[in-house]
Parts: sequence; C-alpha cells; structure tokens
Amino acid sequence: MSEDSYRIEWTASSAVIATPAEIDVTNSAQTRRALLAAVARHPAVLIIDMSETTFCDSTGVEAIVAAYRQAAAAGTQLRLVAPEIERILTLTGIGQVVPVHSTLAAAHAAAADGPR
Amino acid sequence: MGAWPGSDSVQVRLRDIQSITDAALSRLEDHDFLAALLERTRSILQADTAAALLLDPVAGQLTATAAAGLEEEVRQGVRIPVGRGFAGRIAAERRPVILDHVDHTTVLNPILWAKGIHALLGVPLIAGGRVIGVMHVGSLTPREFSAEDVELLQLAADRAANAVQSITAREDKIAAAALQRSLLPAALPVRDGAQLAARYVPGEGTVGGDWYDVFNLPSGDLGIVIGDVTGSGLPAAVIMGRMRSALRAYALDSPEPVEVLSRLDAKMQHFEPGALATVSYAVVESALDRMHICLAGHYPPVIARPGEPAALAEIPPGLLIGAIAAAQRKQVTIELSPGTLVGFYTDGLVERRDQPIDERLARLCGAVTAGPPDAACAAVMAELVGGEVVRDDIAVVMFWRQPAETQ
Repeated sequence: MSEDSYRIEWTASSAVIATPAEIDVTNSAQTRRALLAAVARHPAVLIIDMSETTFCDSTGVEAIVAAYRQAAAAGTQLRLVAPEIERILTLTGIGQVVPVHSTLAAAHAAAADGPR
Repeated sequence: MGAWPGSDSVQVRLRDIQSITDAALSRLEDHDFLAALLERTRSILQADTAAALLLDPVAGQLTATAAAGLEEEVRQGVRIPVGRGFAGRIAAERRPVILDHVDHTTVLNPILWAKGIHALLGVPLIAGGRVIGVMHVGSLTPREFSAEDVELLQLAADRAANAVQSITAREDKIAAAALQRSLLPAALPVRDGAQLAARYVPGEGTVGGDWYDVFNLPSGDLGIVIGDVTGSGLPAAVIMGRMRSALRAYALDSPEPVEVLSRLDAKMQHFEPGALATVSYAVVESALDRMHICLAGHYPPVIARPGEPAALAEIPPGLLIGAIAAAQRKQVTIELSPGTLVGFYTDGLVERRDQPIDERLARLCGAVTAGPPDAACAAVMAELVGGEVVRDDIAVVMFWRQPAETQ
C-alpha cells in the first residue's frame, strides 16, 4: 500500500493517522513517509492510531521515532494508540517520550487536556 | 532518419541490447558487463562515446563508473553533483536530455568538451523506482539525436539499471557478511570461574545489524555487549561496526554501563544521525559475583539461578540509541550467585509475527537452565528456532558463573 492510502482523519486541531496490521521492513518506509507527511501539515495534535497494528518490528519503531523527532521540532503534540504492541514501545523506551494510550477516545481526551 | 535505415533494423538493434544484458546477467561473476553493454550501446547508436555514472545517494553525486570511448571519465574519477551540469540534470529531472551544443556552459565535466564532443544524449538509470545513475552517448561530429535514439538508449539503460542493481545487491551482501564475520569475536575470553558461549545466525538472504561482543577490561571486569542496528545489509553492518568500536572505547573510559551507553548515544546522534539501535551492556565484576547492566531499548537478559525457574531480569527499559538527545537511562546491579546463568539475545530470537511475544519469552525462560552455557545456547536455539529459516538475524550470548565445586 502506498503512503497515500494511509487513512488520515482531520479535525480543526488534530489529525489521526491509522497504521497497517503489520509494520516491518517491507512497508516501514511507506509508513515513515506517511507519518512524516502528516507531521508536515502541522496539526496541533497528531495521533498515530495503531489499534489495528498487531506486529511492529524495529523498522516500524524507526518510523515512529522519525515522526516523533519531526513532531517535536514542529511543535506538534504526538500521541500513540497502541493496544497490541505496547511491549515493544515500552521495551524501546518510546513510551517514555511519546504518550501511549489503549483507545483512540483516551488519546483524544488526553489531547484535549493539553501536552502531558 | 539517416542513421536508421528502417524499422526492421530498430528491432534487430533492440534484440542486440537484450541479448547482451541477458547473457551478462546469467554470468554472475561478470563485473565487466557494464563496459560491454556500453560498447554495444555505442555501436548500436553509432555514437563515438558512451558512459555510465552511478549515483552515490549519500553524497548526492554521480560517479563515472564505466565508459566506452571516454575512459578518461572513469580513470579520473569524475564526480558530478546531482542537479548540476548535463548528467546532474538528468538525474535530478529523471528524464532524457539532449544537448546539441557542448561547452563549459552546458556541461560541467571538462573532459567532455575538451575531447571535442559536439552532441550528447543522456537518460536516467532507474531501478525499483529510484534513480541509480545516468547513461549517456556522445558524438564527435554535429548530430541531432532522434526519438528512436532516445528510446533505444533508455531501453539499454533500463536493462543496465536492473543488472547494476542486482550486481550491487550481490556485492553488498557478500561484503556485509564478511564485515559481520570480521566483527564478531573470533574467540570469547576465557576466565577462571566462568564460561561463555554464543551463537549468531544470519536472517534469510541477508545479514542484519545484530552483534555481540565480550571483552576483558583492564580492571579485570568483563564487558558483555549485545545489540541490534535497525535495518539490514551493508548499511546496517557498517553502522554496527562503528558502534562496536565506539562502545569498546567508552568501556575503557568508564566502568559504568549507563555512562558508556550515554556516550555511545551522543556519538551516534552526532556522527550517524538517523541510525537507531538497541543495545544491552553489562559489566561483570572481576570477582564474578555482581553484574551492572544498562539497557537501551533492548530485551532484558534471562537469568537462571540453580534450583529456580529462569526469568527475565527486571531492568527498567531505557530509550534506544539514536532516538533523542540526552535520553536518561537507569543502570541496575544483579547479584550472581555461583551457578547462575545469564542469557542475552536479540529480537530475532523471540519476535515472530504469528506468535504473541509473551508466549515466546515464556518459552525462552522455559528452555534455559542454570548450567554450562553451550548447552543453554543449544537449548534455546532448539526451542525457539528448531528447523525454521529465520527472517531476522539472531544473536545469543550466554554467561555462566560456574558453581564452586566445578571451579
């Protein structure tokens, strides 16, 4: 799937981008480009919705880190919804720098409260 | 259409181009095929010179790699920045360019106009959707290149691009495997009272960025490293080699794993921006009774004590190397009673897309018992790999503090 086919939903202040069921070396470059393209549109809040993602290897982590660095530089508040791949986010320490939520609703609620 | 007597002749020439590249591709060891293809292309297009420049994507430069009738380009190592001059423009715009007037205003490379070339036709080399270089032909006499000329050259270029890519991939694979072999310890340190064993298995078709390292420190302490650079092939292996060297150097400067990883992180972020890696670094005290360990995004080791079931060490996760500046990590100290086994591993051992990670980690713990490390390596490989062809590479290092009676 190309980066154009990553589903993004925009509201006035936030964007939600959904990631595929599996992220590995075969599609992580597209994931990375899709995430960076979303950051480049300067939403106040960007939520990476990984609810459907059940497998994410180190190249997927790399895509998230790239998005995190760009978001931090652009002043975009980045949040993750990742109920299925919490372990790799904890293990790699990503969860220490990007808030991880178990549902999209929880991410929206936290975003409404501002940066943690 | 002076140069082209008829369409039959075009078909013959198309077949000529196809035949040479197919033959070249079937001879895996043939690295001169690009020169042969250029010679054939030059003759088919009735041109005086032909040259291929390949893109160095990191430098953003085209390097003259092969030529026919224009060997000076290659011998002098001509480099053209993408976007500048004739070849640079073709690479940047990804389309054919025709020049009917060659001088210093249109062409960057002085060899071309000094040689007396009047007209040039160049096309991009595109493989897998990416520009990998430029191929061009030149005429020493005034000439208007036709649409057929462009088409023929593009056809030759497309076939060359695919062949170049497969040859480069093959060479990179061989180089990466050789580099990986040279960087893994040939022999593990021998210590009274301790035993070590290790395994490394490359992933299917390619080596990755996994490495392990075990070394004696001047203090008498023992350093044990395991890590995984994101990505695969030659780029990952090169980064891995640099990380291994840097970590060894910092290990001489500081006895604290957290400090060593912090310096390694700063070094990587400065000199290898964009590279990411997970690393576990442990220092076993010379008395072998305590281990200090810090994790940077890496799985914690499995620990097996005599008479107890093995379990993952409880170590706070730390951010992986290369992610953010000044990441804070914690170091913990683990007591090693006699007979304790500590097993380090990379994600390739435990991560499978069709099996929950917790289940795999439980199987790892179940396979490990406090005992000789070589048997522990064999047991975890049998339990978690068996006869499987693995996609990702796997590294395993086992450290065993021998029980008092066997010392």
